[in-house]
Amino acid sequence: MNIHEYQAKNILKRYGLPIHNFVVVEDKNAIDHAIAELGVDKAVVKVQVHAGGRGKAGGVKVAMNRADIKKHTANLLGMKLITKQTGPNGITCHKVMIADLADIEKEFYFGIIIDRDRAIPLIMSSREGGMEIEEVAEANPEKILKTPLTPSGEITDKQINEITDFMGWTGKTKNQGKEMIKSMVRAFMEIDGSILEINPLIEDSKGDLYILDAKISVDDNALYRQKDIQQMYDPTQGSKAEERAHELDLAYVAMDGNIGCMVNGAGLAMATMDIIAEKGGSPANFLDVGGGATKEKVIESFKIILSDPKVKGILVNIFGGIMKCDIIAEGVVAAVKEIKLKVPLVVRLEGTNVEQGKKIINESGLKVIAAEDLGDAAKKIVAEVRGK
Amino acid sequence: MSILVNKHTKVICQGITGAAGSFHTEQCLAYGTKMVGGVTPGKGGMVSEHGLPIFNTVKEAKDAVNPDATMIFVPPKFAAAAILEAEEAHIPLIICITEGIPILDMLKVKERFIKSKSRLIGPNCPGIITPDQCKIGIMPGYIHKPGKIGIVSRSGTLTYEAVWQTTKLGLGQTTCVGIGGDPTNGTNFIDVLKLFEKDPETEGILMIGEIGGDAEEQAAQWIKDHCSKKVAAFIAGKSAPPGRRMGHAGAIISNGKGGASDKIHALQRANVIVAMTPDKMGEAMREAFG
Repeated sequence: MNIHEYQAKNILKRYGLPIHNFVVVEDKNAIDHAIAELGVDKAVVKVQVHAGGRGKAGGVKVAMNRADIKKHTANLLGMKLITKQTGPNGITCHKVMIADLADIEKEFYFGIIIDRDRAIPLIMSSREGGMEIEEVAEANPEKILKTPLTPSGEITDKQINEITDFMGWTGKTKNQGKEMIKSMVRAFMEIDGSILEINPLIEDSKGDLYILDAKISVDDNALYRQKDIQQMYDPTQGSKAEERAHELDLAYVAMDGNIGCMVNGAGLAMATMDIIAEKGGSPANFLDVGGGATKEKVIESFKIILSDPKVKGILVNIFGGIMKCDIIAEGVVAAVKEIKLKVPLVVRLEGTNVEQGKKIINESGLKVIAAEDLGDAAKKIVAEVRGK
Repeated sequence: MSILVNKHTKVICQGITGAAGSFHTEQCLAYGTKMVGGVTPGKGGMVSEHGLPIFNTVKEAKDAVNPDATMIFVPPKFAAAAILEAEEAHIPLIICITEGIPILDMLKVKERFIKSKSRLIGPNCPGIITPDQCKIGIMPGYIHKPGKIGIVSRSGTLTYEAVWQTTKLGLGQTTCVGIGGDPTNGTNFIDVLKLFEKDPETEGILMIGEIGGDAEEQAAQWIKDHCSKKVAAFIAGKSAPPGRRMGHAGAIISNGKGGASDKIHALQRANVIVAMTPDKMGEAMREAFG
């Protein structure tokens, strides 16, 4: 789960990490009060959205007086931010951060991720701060130092020294850096982090280090033991359909096409999208109903799929294992009746309790197109959608 | 012959009194698997609804019924501890079906298995089956048929699809192994490929991969260097957009890496016949035999 920059900074402050003062504004009427509270005349004003590339998209403004701080904050609130990560629809900005303007001498990159192949947390450090780390890795891999930790997140003094030397820190800067590295590792492990990225980490003209931007992503599977972070979930950062899917614990990803898909299992769901594309159609979504779906969940899945106005037909592809075909069939029949489905529906069932499942659909009297296998199912739904 | 499990394999279920554990123990028994007991802390000494003895700990089960394998249906919060408990009790084969284990927990599990004599399959996997002999997991039994193909897969239901196609074509299977959709898993493609390579009855291998990571590329290199069997493959996620996670924790194309076409090319360079659509997996396998 992603959280906002201001939330990440609040977490990191708890670990004693150096962060410039900031305030967060949600309401245009509260801007004056917020500026007074912060008490500065020069500030940086930043949109709070779950996407990188905010600066390039016009979501970060520098203001040299209070009138400008107010003007930029007012303009950014409610702004629709479109970056390469948000897709063409963009994300609306509901919160703006106003922060003390930093005096930047040097910029660095510091990140912690999980190296899943080696099954360890890994630190990445670079003197090329402020750039996209992927671009640095591509063009100048030698400019990134990778430091492997133990699986439980231990780092040695030798490794810490390697990082501070690589960054070129000396004297008090080096001492600050050492403490920061330890604190960031501790934070990452304690919050079940999957990404902790400080870009940039800056050194000011006095040689003091500060965290200028922070990105934190937390392991979804660990949210049950990160209750305070779970509260930070911001439903405004995805589409309505994604928000609903999140509530129902369904894996749903919207796509650009017009054939809605409901499948059990992530691999089969991807494969179903692939074969629709191969047969000349275009999938409208990825949707994995999972192994524990109930009749109600199937109905809700139909509603999510149909909330996308582009959908001109639906393909249900179920290979029952842990999921039983009769449960899916009951859900499909109930959904078609409740929603009064108007687009063609192709259903392919196989696996656990397949005969009961087929019987439920056949006896429902509903107009459902049955498919024999995966190829047949894809062909039929593509033809149906074309025919309209 | 087969790999890892056969009709003599004695199996326990950790989490046998939970809804999923109980249902699938029943299904495995019906298939003919030699289920010999279960573990639920606090219910030791009781008998399960299937008539199997329940133990408080895996150690107690090990001492009493000496299982060769354990099937884990413990909720995600406690699943890593359940895997570690099975390893401490020296259960040779540990199969974890549970989905949604926190990654930091899995890092600790992975560390333990570096020096372990036990083998972990999963987590987040359908399990393992040797047709007509032993089913440990959640796959529907009837789609399998004894034969000559070894199947290894990162996906659950897509594996069933592959199995069903090879069954309908009369090829059948020696053993099918679901290694799971998490990027940090116990047994990987190469581990299973090595076992199939050594199994005389496995004549062909069908490998099902998906976007994300580079496990398929590594497997392709191993096949090129070491594999004498016929190999066919399918990679799911050709139509997936970069940067969006497709259900599985591992299924994401990031920074241009982990895309389907790189994986397909790597496999083709290793002389693997790659099915271009998921309905042609069985046919690709047949084609590999020439």
